[in-house]
Amino acid sequence: MNGKQRILTALAVKQADRVPLYIHGINEAPIIGIGRHITDGLPGVKDFRKMTDSEKFKVLDTLFLIHETYGVDGFTAFEIGHEINLDDGHVQDEFGVTYALSDFGLPVAKGHPIKEPQDLTRYTPPVPDRGHLLLLDLARDRFKGEKALFWLMRGTFVRCWRLMGMENLMLKMFDDPQFVHQVARMTLDYNLAQLDLLVEAGLDVLVIEDDIADKNFPLIAPDQFLEFVNFYNRQIVEAAHKKGLKVVRHSDGNLWPLLDILLDSGYDGLNPLEPQAGMDMARVKAYCGDRICLLGNIDCIDLLPNGTCGQVDEAVRTAIQDGGKGGGLIICSSNSLHPGVNPENCIAMFEATRKYGLYDTP
Amino acid sequence: MVLNRILETLQKGDVKQIADLIGQAFDAGMTPEEVLNQGLIAGMDVVGQKFQAGQIYIPHMLLAARAMHAALDILKPLLAGNGNARAGRVVLGTVRGDHHDIGKNLVSTMLEGKGFEVIDVGIDAEPEKFVAAVDETIQIVAMSALLSTTAPFMGETIEALERAGLRKNIKIMVGGGAVTREFADSIGADAYGADAATAALLAMELVASQKEAR
Repeated sequence: MNGKQRILTALAVKQADRVPLYIHGINEAPIIGIGRHITDGLPGVKDFRKMTDSEKFKVLDTLFLIHETYGVDGFTAFEIGHEINLDDGHVQDEFGVTYALSDFGLPVAKGHPIKEPQDLTRYTPPVPDRGHLLLLDLARDRFKGEKALFWLMRGTFVRCWRLMGMENLMLKMFDDPQFVHQVARMTLDYNLAQLDLLVEAGLDVLVIEDDIADKNFPLIAPDQFLEFVNFYNRQIVEAAHKKGLKVVRHSDGNLWPLLDILLDSGYDGLNPLEPQAGMDMARVKAYCGDRICLLGNIDCIDLLPNGTCGQVDEAVRTAIQDGGKGGGLIICSSNSLHPGVNPENCIAMFEATRKYGLYDTP
Repeated sequence: MVLNRILETLQKGDVKQIADLIGQAFDAGMTPEEVLNQGLIAGMDVVGQKFQAGQIYIPHMLLAARAMHAALDILKPLLAGNGNARAGRVVLGTVRGDHHDIGKNLVSTMLEGKGFEVIDVGIDAEPEKFVAAVDETIQIVAMSALLSTTAPFMGETIEALERAGLRKNIKIMVGGGAVTREFADSIGADAYGADAATAALLAMELVASQKEAR
């Protein structure tokens, strides 16, 4: 089996030749840190936006090389070129959302263009741009069907709170539900239009990235989730399935109060299964059985930043033991490989997946 | 009883009705302190307990917080000069490099719901900003971090408070997505709040322990 076959088999909750390996997301620092083990000439760690064109090319090439060298079975692409620089510390995306840049993590949405209904009447929604799928094109041409191509699509909740502001969105669910539905519908239209472009570009797996929980509880009540979020995300799932894609649901946090809803929504996979949020692999596997493929669970909050390679090796072995039986498991970290992870521990995770992931009978 | 109705209305977040009920409480001869303690603070206690139990979620907390702030706007001028109405003063912020604020804001709301005055130093707050906000009236410094890459700045902030000679007079409380009890212990924090309601309860305990120590 090649990587693509392996991933698609696991997402069908069937047993491949071995447990597949996946990187959900990765920042510049771990690309460069891991990359230094396999190539020369990498730039110092800095924001991708601040790199020269040759540095960007080198970093992207290294990202591909990491997938090839360590046998990562799927590649995650995402939009690039959709932001404009406002100043050294801020960018704005195609929706008009302003983000504060940080040296310590992903940009954080701070400027929200649709706070009130009158803002929506003046607002012109963006149209998905084929050019923003460049990374998917590059990956498709590089891997030539050997690896599954994933795409991170922001889901309804994330798009809505970025447009409206998190606290404002939550209060508008009580004060003006119709307004929330209008914004959600607008984001759905965008996502469905982008889905058409993604299918034409050769996508295999759509990841609906829509963080909806913290480590304690969902951010909103289950009934609000059903009405304002899942109603729309589910339409993306159905549209993607009609086009032959697999669909993975990504959300940080404790998803137990929403798990039945998610299982009923048709997703093929669930990611990233944060151990600190109670998403214990054995317990989730026992509950979900063969209804959904599990992706993740290797702790990136404490283990990958601060643990030893031996501890990472043991965590991978345990995850495969707890979640791998019969297939339906894809190993990756419990969220993105962020600037705080130790590159050597990431490599240990890759190697342990190959070491322990072989199924006895394909 | 009108105080019970204030308590219930706070949970529903009905701003207009809570203002009407406060007026009714005054008409019935109740003092602003009684309305604050037996209506608002008691109401926010219930909100916190339900949140901790997973019976309500952040939007319901925000709804209650909005009603509480509206009620405090009415009560504050009438409570002025009465220091006993305040549980203490807390400096609160999200540490350097971290731009996340919803967790911090929830902690602020729950602290205010317990009668604390919160001095919010905002997001991406350098250690020096925390230090500058601390004076002899501050009992607690509370720090939030969502990212594991920014959580170490909690330790740096504690060190900055020590260098400024302020550490011995205050208690340190930490929380946020990247923080665990073990991490809190490792940097020398006095308390770890797993959620906003717990943080407010811990703040009460910390202030009580300070008073006992004196």
